[in-house]
Amino acid sequence: MGNKMFTRRDFMRTTGVITAMTAMGGMPAELLADVDWRRLVKFPEKTDMIMLTSRPPLLETPFHYFKELITPNDAVFVRWHLSQISTSVDLNEWRLKVGGNTEKELQLSMDDLKTKFEKVTYTAVIQCSGNGRSFFEPRVAGGQWKNGAMGNVTWSGARLKDILNAAGIKAGSIDVTFDGLDEPPLPTVPDFVKSLDMDRALEDDIIVAYEMNGRFLPMLNGFPSRLIVPGWYADYWVKSLSTITVLTKPFEGYWEKGAYRIPDDPCACVPPGSEQKKTVPIRRLNTRSFIVEPSDGTALRANKPVIVMGIAFSGGYGIRDVIISTDKGRTWNETMLGKDLGKYAWIQWSYSWLPKKPGKYMLMVRATNRIGESQPFEPLWSPSGFMRNNIEKIEVTVR
Amino acid sequence: MKNLFLIAVCIALVMSIGFVYAENQRGSRPNKNDVHSIQIPVIPIELKPGPGQDKASPFCNICHSLDYITMQPPFLRATWTAEVNKMIKVMGAPINEDDAKTIINYLVANYGTGQ
Repeated sequence: MGNKMFTRRDFMRTTGVITAMTAMGGMPAELLADVDWRRLVKFPEKTDMIMLTSRPPLLETPFHYFKELITPNDAVFVRWHLSQISTSVDLNEWRLKVGGNTEKELQLSMDDLKTKFEKVTYTAVIQCSGNGRSFFEPRVAGGQWKNGAMGNVTWSGARLKDILNAAGIKAGSIDVTFDGLDEPPLPTVPDFVKSLDMDRALEDDIIVAYEMNGRFLPMLNGFPSRLIVPGWYADYWVKSLSTITVLTKPFEGYWEKGAYRIPDDPCACVPPGSEQKKTVPIRRLNTRSFIVEPSDGTALRANKPVIVMGIAFSGGYGIRDVIISTDKGRTWNETMLGKDLGKYAWIQWSYSWLPKKPGKYMLMVRATNRIGESQPFEPLWSPSGFMRNNIEKIEVTVR
Repeated sequence: MKNLFLIAVCIALVMSIGFVYAENQRGSRPNKNDVHSIQIPVIPIELKPGPGQDKASPFCNICHSLDYITMQPPFLRATWTAEVNKMIKVMGAPINEDDAKTIINYLVANYGTGQ
């Protein structure tokens, strides 16, 4: 009985959001397209998000938020692996433990993190490895994301390198592991632990972030601190980070060796529907671009200029150019790039388009980064549905 | 004159309280002495009724909400079999062989392609 009541109320809440927006002058088409079978649900410290699952929560950002250069904290997607997630942290008690093959063991308080280490700030795209997974054909198992498992956030925190050096890395160190406060629901479930090799861990740009967009992290995004590995997929960005351990041998944990693997091939792909045999860990983001406005299916007026806009990003090499086609890919035009927030951030692009004749038009967008990496016309398939980055298409009608 | 001054002081006081309140509401600065807590909503999901639901619901629900099943597209028997086996072999779900068969058959019949 209680269950049914909740479901009905929840449904009414969701439709309530839609009704209110319709009353306010039209539901944005992209939001309608986003809703479909999925529900908008409000979780603590988050705005109405597209709920894929509740325990552990997978929450997707409604696409219209990508009109903004910076994704607000309450709209950043949520993805946890283990159901026992941290829901309460007392900063008087909380410590970041650093140890293993180090000169000393550190127990850093939040004050220590903020005062003993230089504060580093930059903007970086956070993107789930499976962003866009539900568009793959054949379909694959996993979180059925559309394209809302990404965001552009300004992160602040202490350099991992400085923290490791404060502990003193001893000779023979090979890997560094990162564990958070989330715990397995059964003792047999592998704890979510990720690793970086020593050289990577000592790179300048990797930080232990305690701020998102100048504020503390929402609990569901990893309060009080998370690892930021800019340019790499978010599986490395361990949330509610609590333990950093330096190892003298390669890390063999499940989430490194058994999951988050891609085909060992430059395309990270296999023929659709086939198995992946030799694999490597998923790492650097590939190049992507999206059309945010107008949304798919929009009706436009002939001879009335329309601003087409969107975003583009790559795995740490910035964006050299974004081109757009309004004729199914026959001809392409340069778009204008917006403010550059650095090589890890996404950049906004825009194009003023004057559709002359009525009819249906296909718009396509393609970005290239500063080392020449671009996007394929067709999706590159893998069994886990990772790294989707094909040229995005939308269709609009001109009347 | 004195009254005006008092009123001005009062207004300033109310405004500053309002400002501090707004700051706290926005949560731009966590009070370091505070315990930061949230409560995750419990959102029950029911699987389709059918033979085997009585096994699938409680076993799958041990580790995750049932929308992990309902969000998936229809899968072939091979895919559902691989998923259930992964839960048992990799995650250690305490499901015996008979129950595993029942659960796989249930998933294929209710969330499968029928093949």
